[in-house]
Amino acid sequence: MNRKYELVYVVSPDATDEQVTELHTQVEGIAQRMGGSIDKTENWGRRRLAYEIGRHKEGTYVLEVIDGTGELMKEIDRRLKVTDLVIRHLVVRVDEAQSVIDRTRGKRTDVSRRRRIARGLPPDRQPGEGQRGEPDDDRDDRFDVGEDVR
Amino acid sequence: MNGRKSFGGGGGGRGRGGAQGAQQGKDGQQRRPMFRRRKVCKFCADKIDDINYKDTRLLMPFVPERAKILPRRISGTCALHQRKLRTAIMRARQLALIPYTAE
Repeated sequence: MNRKYELVYVVSPDATDEQVTELHTQVEGIAQRMGGSIDKTENWGRRRLAYEIGRHKEGTYVLEVIDGTGELMKEIDRRLKVTDLVIRHLVVRVDEAQSVIDRTRGKRTDVSRRRRIARGLPPDRQPGEGQRGEPDDDRDDRFDVGEDVR
Repeated sequence: MNGRKSFGGGGGGRGRGGAQGAQQGKDGQQRRPMFRRRKVCKFCADKIDDINYKDTRLLMPFVPERAKILPRRISGTCALHQRKLRTAIMRARQLALIPYTAE
């Protein structure tokens, strides 16, 4: 049974761009060999690490959304563990969480639509409707442990 | 704790005007009753369904200087969302997107 997983790995900053792409093709190769596929790849580029890992202070982050079996992810996990170039990686299963999110979102729009129809309004919000200054009201200080904290 | 200030109340300009005569302190000083702003779960209020470990901008306010997770008692987050927030923060920490401790 195929499931959806997210894989993020951090490549050592010493690695060249070719090495990063080679790593990606390796992952892709394993996925294809074991009956999976890669839905999406995102390279976040070089980022500062929040803490030092080994002696590294930076790393290149790569995100892959993989469709495949648990066996496949196990294999990828094992391979990344033994790859010295990868300093950190994380595999997360996302399909279940995503379906929960979609369901709650759908429920919410349904409820609001029903209410609006009951009040004799068109089901979707019209432009210019709602409280003024709503789109980006930053006077709202209900919760302002803001960025200034850090 | 810097973040605490905004929650602690500080009276806020919005207190009900009603009881002004009634609250004379013993020493004759005018004192307002401590007004605490009602805490609201940020995720419920803003209708954020997806608390994702990749979204550091969203998570950062919940890990103040010491990099500990902000407790519910202070942030006002509801139990469901605090739980999701916790897993998200722990995942982000693993990937060094968020620190475990402050240096």
